[in-house]
Amino acid sequence: MKPPRHRWLFTLTATVITAVFLLPVYWMVKTSLTRPDRIQAAHPQWVPAPVTGENYATALGYSGLTRALLNSLVISSGVVALTLLLGVPLAYALARIRMRGSGTMVLALLVAQLPPAIVLAAPLFILERRAGLADSYLGLVFADTTLTLPFTVIVLRPVLRAVPPELEEAAQIDGCGVPGVLLRVVLPLMVPGVVAAAGLSFLIGWGEFLFGLTLAEGPDIQPVTVLLNSFVGQHGTSWGALMATATLISIPVACVFAVFQRFIVGGLTAGSVRG
Amino acid sequence: MPRTLSPSAHRRRAGCLFCVPGLAFLGLFLAYPLLYTVWTSVHDVELGQLLGGEERFNGLDNYRAVLDDPAFWHSVRLSLLFTLASLLLQFTLGFALALLFARPFPFNALLRSLLLIAWLLPPVVSGTLFRWMLDADSGAYNALLRAAGLGALSHDWLTDPSTSLAGVILANVWVGVPFNMLLLLVGLHTIDPALHEAAALDGANAWQRLRHITLPLMRPVSVTVLLLGLVYTFKVFDIVFVMTGGGPVDATRVLSLYVYEVFFTFFRFGHGAAAGLLLLVVPLLVGVFYVRRLRREEETTAGGAV
Repeated sequence: MKPPRHRWLFTLTATVITAVFLLPVYWMVKTSLTRPDRIQAAHPQWVPAPVTGENYATALGYSGLTRALLNSLVISSGVVALTLLLGVPLAYALARIRMRGSGTMVLALLVAQLPPAIVLAAPLFILERRAGLADSYLGLVFADTTLTLPFTVIVLRPVLRAVPPELEEAAQIDGCGVPGVLLRVVLPLMVPGVVAAAGLSFLIGWGEFLFGLTLAEGPDIQPVTVLLNSFVGQHGTSWGALMATATLISIPVACVFAVFQRFIVGGLTAGSVRG
Repeated sequence: MPRTLSPSAHRRRAGCLFCVPGLAFLGLFLAYPLLYTVWTSVHDVELGQLLGGEERFNGLDNYRAVLDDPAFWHSVRLSLLFTLASLLLQFTLGFALALLFARPFPFNALLRSLLLIAWLLPPVVSGTLFRWMLDADSGAYNALLRAAGLGALSHDWLTDPSTSLAGVILANVWVGVPFNMLLLLVGLHTIDPALHEAAALDGANAWQRLRHITLPLMRPVSVTVLLLGLVYTFKVFDIVFVMTGGGPVDATRVLSLYVYEVFFTFFRFGHGAAAGLLLLVVPLLVGVFYVRRLRREEETTAGGAV
């Protein structure tokens, strides 16, 4: 193997690339902490001095931001709950129970990920209106779950397949019904997969924009992504407050990723490459 | 519990029950809306009809209207350009990064995770962010150009119709690179290091090993990554909508934004449904191709662990 000095050279290269690549993220946080009168300058400061919370105060003073953050939290939690509730049993059945048509169902779930969101948003706009779901949390949770559910089942299926069947058989012999087996034997073993699915579903629900834009009308249920977009129109030059808002939206994303990182990366690659 | 059922029949019945809620949901909120779109696309539906008028069957009129619309073809061209440029750039950069990160070095995992942040940020956030980065007067990229003595190149990227698409592509590539890197990295790790060692012993240099070992072995993974990228990129809406709204004028109005406008700005639902279904053609074709490949792969690796 190569001497360690050589390896540090790779670390250096990778660090420089990562720094250049993530410049926009740094710039977002930097701008959000810079005094508003110093933001729009031909020679911007690379490090904010003095650091200020002023932009955050301005952003939180804009009408609707706290409400929208709360809306997004409610919607994405709902998405996680509904996705797991529907997805875990479905994935289990497709992974572990020999049934006619399960191959077709897996195929259908792959196909279900293909339609562009706009193709779905258009009819949902009409249908949810008719069903009385328009402009409600539930309507948005349902719409978002069409994105997360197929994905979740695809991610969970290989995880479930890896559970040794002997364990299930043993539990069945001990008198557990199928739901009991799922709950007591399989579920604990699939925790990493479920965590990955929950984390990814949360991120998708939190970042979702198009359904929020088309299906939510008032500020009462509008997600924060939609609000950020309308801020760009309303406060187009207040970049400090805009970047503060963007940073606030990114914080939960960073937290979820930091905590569930290993699970998410594993789940993601399992879902995408193996299908 | 009926005792007459054998364990396996019992399991099958439970399996069906487990499938019902999820499938019912997808039927109601995914399949039905798509079928409804098909129905709408052959009817004359505008806002008036939605409010209680009668929808009139009009055959293929909506499709004809879409195909006769120069704006539609403009959007098709933009979507193709946007998709191809994004794919090419994000795949190449992703591959280069994957080659770097496939080597063991200190802080590899940490740096790799940091890169993923770009992919995980909500597209609305990245879009807003790049609007600011590309801002004419105070944007970071123009400031960098000025600092490098290239002030003449600084530019109002997003409001100039000749560069706005490039600006949007830049943002989209930024989001796509980490994802490409991650998937390609998984592929690189499946290559047996013994192959490289043997080739090195035979005197092959790094470039020859890349060219004759890595690239051929990465072909299947690369095709998968490119197909996935094609589907994802073709559907992109958020980032373009937030950065330019399709403008200036129509310089970045890719297909998904065209459908959005027809539907939600002009409320021409029939026309919009037809356009939306035409937008579905490319991902569906790719999907068929992808699934057939997966099937083939599954056949050749049948008996494997997963």
